[in-house]
Amino acid sequence: MSLLLKNISLPLAHFALEVDVEMPKRVTAVFGPSGAGKTSLLDLIAGLRSPRSAFIQLNGDVLTDTAKKFSVATHRRGIGYVPQDLALFPHLSVRQNLFYGRKSRENAGMLFSFEHVIKVLEIEPLTSRGVTELSGGEKQRVALARALLASPRLLLLDEPLASLDEPLKEKIIPYLIRIRDEFQIPMLCVTHDRFVALTLADEIVVLMGGKVMQTGPVSEVFTRPANAEVAKFAGVETLQPGKITSVADGLATVNVGSVTLTALAPATASRDVFVCIRGEEVILQRDAAIASSVRNRLSARVLSLRPEGALVRVELDAGFPLFALVTRPACAELELREGATVIALIKAPAIHLVPR
Amino acid sequence: MTAVEWQIVGFTVWVAALSTLAILPIGLALAWALARGNWPGKSVVETLVTLPLVMPPVATGLILLTIFGRHGVGGFLQDTFNFKIIFTWRAVLLALSVMSLPLLVRSARTAFEEVNPRLEQIARTLGAGGWRVFFTITIPLAARGIVGGMLLAFARALGEFGATIMVAGYMPGKTATISLAIFEDVQDFQDTKAYHLLGVSVALAFIAVWTSEFFLRRKKPT
Amino acid sequence: MKLAKTFLASFVALWLAANLRAAEITAFAAASLTDSLKEIAANYEKISGDKITFNFGASSTLARQIEAGATADIFFSADEAQMNGLATNGLIDTATRKSILGNSLVVVVPNDSTLQIKSAAGLTNASVKQIALADPKAVPAGVYARAWLIKSQLWPAIEPKVVPTENVRAALAAVASGNVDAGVVYKTDAAISKSVKIACEVPRADGPDISYPMALVKDSPQPEAAKKFLDYLSSKEAGQVFTRYGFLLRQ
Repeated sequence: MSLLLKNISLPLAHFALEVDVEMPKRVTAVFGPSGAGKTSLLDLIAGLRSPRSAFIQLNGDVLTDTAKKFSVATHRRGIGYVPQDLALFPHLSVRQNLFYGRKSRENAGMLFSFEHVIKVLEIEPLTSRGVTELSGGEKQRVALARALLASPRLLLLDEPLASLDEPLKEKIIPYLIRIRDEFQIPMLCVTHDRFVALTLADEIVVLMGGKVMQTGPVSEVFTRPANAEVAKFAGVETLQPGKITSVADGLATVNVGSVTLTALAPATASRDVFVCIRGEEVILQRDAAIASSVRNRLSARVLSLRPEGALVRVELDAGFPLFALVTRPACAELELREGATVIALIKAPAIHLVPR
Repeated sequence: MTAVEWQIVGFTVWVAALSTLAILPIGLALAWALARGNWPGKSVVETLVTLPLVMPPVATGLILLTIFGRHGVGGFLQDTFNFKIIFTWRAVLLALSVMSLPLLVRSARTAFEEVNPRLEQIARTLGAGGWRVFFTITIPLAARGIVGGMLLAFARALGEFGATIMVAGYMPGKTATISLAIFEDVQDFQDTKAYHLLGVSVALAFIAVWTSEFFLRRKKPT
Repeated sequence: MKLAKTFLASFVALWLAANLRAAEITAFAAASLTDSLKEIAANYEKISGDKITFNFGASSTLARQIEAGATADIFFSADEAQMNGLATNGLIDTATRKSILGNSLVVVVPNDSTLQIKSAAGLTNASVKQIALADPKAVPAGVYARAWLIKSQLWPAIEPKVVPTENVRAALAAVASGNVDAGVVYKTDAAISKSVKIACEVPRADGPDISYPMALVKDSPQPEAAKKFLDYLSSKEAGQVFTRYGFLLRQ
């Protein structure tokens, strides 16, 4: 799909939403903290709010052009919307909710057949129930199905997992993946959850304080945040102040806390930097004697362990606070517990230096 | 109760019901416009709609008499379409409608305000245009409050006197409502008849208001 | 505390002052007497120093009010029936009862009307759709009109067109506003309004005998002052005013 947002300006409570971005990929995540203007952006795309100025174009069709005082009415945009509170119609049954966006009971002319959608989202047994009888996860799937059944050409999702607890989140993500893969429908997903962005999206737009901070493929944004704000929010686990002491051969020597690290030299010349290390990039090892290519081998003491889904977040004192994300089985194998001593290995390219 | 008295009761109930139906389209339209959004002149319209509730009914009746009488719109209607309002049952309908409209608008407005606008918005993204959203989402969700408002309006119409006597007069068999008949019976020293009608009036009002309260009582939070 | 004392003192002072004024007489009188009685009362107030307060309305309504206990000194009715009603209930001083006035009925139409109504038969015309009468069941003007139409044997044909009003002045107003095609009121009323014209006058022989009795109300709070005013009403000066307004003097 190609969604073009140009010249967007919308005054909000504490700041103005100002966006100028193109989203060419099929699944884009709009990533940012709560209150960054993400929901307002979705509302604008769906035609539910009027901006001060905007040019919105989807796949070549102009939806909004304030310069020409042109705006396509919401019900003609063909854009599906699953809001954070799901907005299921309480006075209609599940079946009536599902059929609301369909012009007829027949499948002819529709993008997706009714049977196919309810099968993929596993809501067949729910159709005759009332909306209030559904559990949180069931409501989520019904809301998704309802939007899909209206044959949208773009699907907007606002914090699809926000109101669910951890185990439920893990159960819903596969459905979102299925929607992406089975129905091949372009999706724009607003989230502050790194996991959702990582799993679903091809591309990320980082929105903070109403402004676009960075866009690009997901992995790139997370490993190479454009600035400290993005770095902090994109959830780089370790973010510490450091000072570059020397630069040679494209490598920089950085003092962090009481240790010295080797990292790739940044493009800028500033000496004061933030050192960003993603938890996934830290390898823990018991035996110090093994030789490897890793430049940074730190002796560290385990301070705490916190399970996060399939992973464990390990807090270490390596001369500075360092976080590592390892799998649970690995944690068990290495017998990691509080107070244990390990070697933390960090490759030089995994240390990202952001100028302060 | 004689046949004449039953005729009066029947006429009153019929014309009150008709007036409640007559004010439904404009009442819901006004309630909707007042519930959603801010537009220039909103507070003026708000006040005008409330006026018949607080002004002396005879004053409202006088305004109606001036507008719809011979020297107002009424003259035009009479000359062009031979359609007379003042001193006919149509004037009763007019008086009841105007006097009971504010009650419908107030209840319906509250009911509309309580409908989550997000539901209407999502309905639009599903391809429903304005009217479809209004009839399939807004009205069903506001139904309780609307029905309660209609019953209140009906109860008010049943008891209307001041405006009615100004524009319709008391014509036995043609414009005689329960309240007009009670007034006249007392004037004519027909107290027994007046008490019969009084009993019916109290009973009707009680039923209407009680049922209305049932609908307007807030739903228990789910 | 001081404020309360001041308030109480002024209240008492005003109360006493009210009771020390010259006699105030309340007269309940038929609506058709409004203008003439107001003028007569103004003259009387200058002579006597007493104050006259009026309650004008349909004689039937007024009788009802007196019966229900309203405070009145004098009752001046537009027909004998209403006065009889009160007399039967012992509410008036029958010794003071007398009738000095008569009136005649006219058919009036709005000023801009093109209707020609020359007699009772004219009212049966199809172009006369609605006729305003003071309530023919109780209000004297309406009762008189009905009697006239019954005598002309046209009441069944005309009754369906009748719009009953609260009193004769209301019937006049209905005609003046153009909301009815015609009305039957007293000749004295037709003279008051500039928005109506007289279509025809009911000859005395065709109409009922119109009589305006007046009397002292038994429970009058000011019987002496009231009797004095009653006498003035029968005087030559009062008679001249009545005649000027178009009333007939009875002997």
